[in-house]
Amino acid sequence: MIAIDPSVWLFLLLVAPSAAAILSLVPNARVSEGVARAGSLIAFAASVAVLVVNASGVWGPYLGLDSLSDVFLFMVTGVYAASIWYSRGYLRSVSRPFLTPQVYYGLLSAFAFAMIFVLVVTDLGLMWIGVEATTVASALLIVLERKPASVEAAWRYTLIASAGLTIALFALLLLYTATGTLDGVRLAASPPAVTLPIEMAVALALVGYGTKVGLFPMHTWLPDAHSEAPSPVSAMFSGVLLPTALYAFLRVYRILPTPVPALVSNLVLAFGVVTALVAAFLLQRQRSFKRLLAYSSMEVMGLAVIGIALGGVALYGALILLVAHAFAKSAAFYCAGNVLRTTRTTRIDEVRDLRTSLPWTGAAWIGSAAAVTGAPPFGTFLGELLIVVGALAAGLVWVAGVVVVAVLVAFLGVNSQIGRMVFGEAVPGSSAVPREPDSGYALAYVNLAVAVAIGVATLPYLSEALRAAAVFLGGALP
Amino acid sequence: MDSSAEVVALVGVGILLTALYLQSESFVDPLIRAIALQSLLLGVLLGWLAWTEHSVDLAILAALAVAVRVLFIPYVLRRQIRAFRWRVRELHAAHRVTGHALAAVVLAIVAWFVFQETLASIFPEPGAALPFILLVEGLLMLATRSNTIVQVIGYLEEENAVVYAGALFAQAFPLFVEVVVFLDVLGVVLVGVILSIQRDVIGTPEESALEELAG
Repeated sequence: MIAIDPSVWLFLLLVAPSAAAILSLVPNARVSEGVARAGSLIAFAASVAVLVVNASGVWGPYLGLDSLSDVFLFMVTGVYAASIWYSRGYLRSVSRPFLTPQVYYGLLSAFAFAMIFVLVVTDLGLMWIGVEATTVASALLIVLERKPASVEAAWRYTLIASAGLTIALFALLLLYTATGTLDGVRLAASPPAVTLPIEMAVALALVGYGTKVGLFPMHTWLPDAHSEAPSPVSAMFSGVLLPTALYAFLRVYRILPTPVPALVSNLVLAFGVVTALVAAFLLQRQRSFKRLLAYSSMEVMGLAVIGIALGGVALYGALILLVAHAFAKSAAFYCAGNVLRTTRTTRIDEVRDLRTSLPWTGAAWIGSAAAVTGAPPFGTFLGELLIVVGALAAGLVWVAGVVVVAVLVAFLGVNSQIGRMVFGEAVPGSSAVPREPDSGYALAYVNLAVAVAIGVATLPYLSEALRAAAVFLGGALP
Repeated sequence: MDSSAEVVALVGVGILLTALYLQSESFVDPLIRAIALQSLLLGVLLGWLAWTEHSVDLAILAALAVAVRVLFIPYVLRRQIRAFRWRVRELHAAHRVTGHALAAVVLAIVAWFVFQETLASIFPEPGAALPFILLVEGLLMLATRSNTIVQVIGYLEEENAVVYAGALFAQAFPLFVEVVVFLDVLGVVLVGVILSIQRDVIGTPEESALEELAG
């Protein structure tokens, strides 16, 4: 058997989406779609190969892979491929699109490329450029449906995310001045002595990248952008953009020695706790099902940040939670897209009896609602359970209590609302029974299956990579 | 203090004054002029440093500051004002500017103390706190203003703060020029693309004036 050097997979991971972004601009829309689909599949296949060969190492001064990036690459390319394949039917349903299909596919691939770039570079400055590039590539995607609200959402997203990233850049300036390098590998291998400027840099990175993660109180762009973007783009926002920004923070956080100084870990914990609680309670009052899902993503990011702050087994739980949530939440947004395409509304109280009108989508939506809120046997359940166990192991009973409360409140809020939409009596006067829109729901089932497989640890290479990533970050295994 | 340090300090004070002025103005056209002036001062500072330190990177940053943040973006923003007169002033801003100005002064003092307590040990240069103060002032502007053009100005102020910081104490920061180019591209995307989409999609001033017409 011929052993292929991992750099080949790394090359494909970078070239496939960037080539798709450029070649998608061909005049023919069908060719553009085909190019984007091929590019996304090649990228996904390369990420699977990276997992299988357990690729790690550094190539040149700026590129590198390790178990953490391998896991995130699988997640990003998986959701990217699913969103590209889901897009065809969705684009057909948009009456006056602001972007041509070619530009849409080009920007979606450029968006994916920017995230992959963040995951494969070792230099923290380049990583920052990658995170900023995700904003540039994705801002216009939000206005696809040409609604005033979507323009306002794009505006808020660009402005708030960029303001946050400026703070992250300031953090990098501090870090560079204090250490003389931005090489993430070097900094992680020989962490600098913990001084006040270093702690300040990590704290500013938390605020800066945290803006893009959707941490309270910098989260205000998140529900607007997620709810106004077309569903395949929302799936990428919720499923993988937020974790990618968190990944960038993790790389800065990792330069601190283990155990992390209390000042910084307590700050991270505080942001996580407040975000999870605020999001769990805010989602109760949502009238739009897409905003409901957006706040659910914010709650999950809060829980993941709690896991990162706690370290140990909770950190392992946070990684499982992020990956399982990415697939589960993208499934939920594909279902939301199907509902929106057929009912032409995002209002929860205007949608009922989906079990009759959209049986396949309705069933997938019930499943994805359970998945994103941490029901067994999905991976999100395992992740959240490990975070609670980690909090108890650390003697922080109150944190375990907060996690349980946030999870329960979010579970009740999301599942009761979506349950009413699926099982509730039909709205009086709505005589027309919508038709199941093509087979877009099939992708939701595929992604839900991945979320279950993560929960029962049956994806061998991914499970091993997740364990390795947790150890790599200084966490512990159960 | 040598002459070079005097120039840096003098221009730094000018930049700080423009930052405080930005918080106390509710009409948009003077705000655009003020941010252009702030960017020009920064360009002069960068040009001076480039000259004295023979740095090509700083010269490029100076040229970028003048081309993008003194000329191009203010030009586009002023065209927006001319096209839509209702954007000329912020809603409710008239009676809020006193509070904004007061908050700006208090925040500048607090930021200076925080800088002295935490970062002065690694940034002993005179005036090293000024970029930090500028960053905080830009954030204040973004957080307290609702007019989209004024928010762009807040973003530009933040960008100026980062460039200022990089020029003062992190000149060897890798890829700094590229990073600033990227920030400028984002600024151009903000004003050139999204503002024009906003005009096309949201439509007439009557519709859009819901939030911004009064004052």
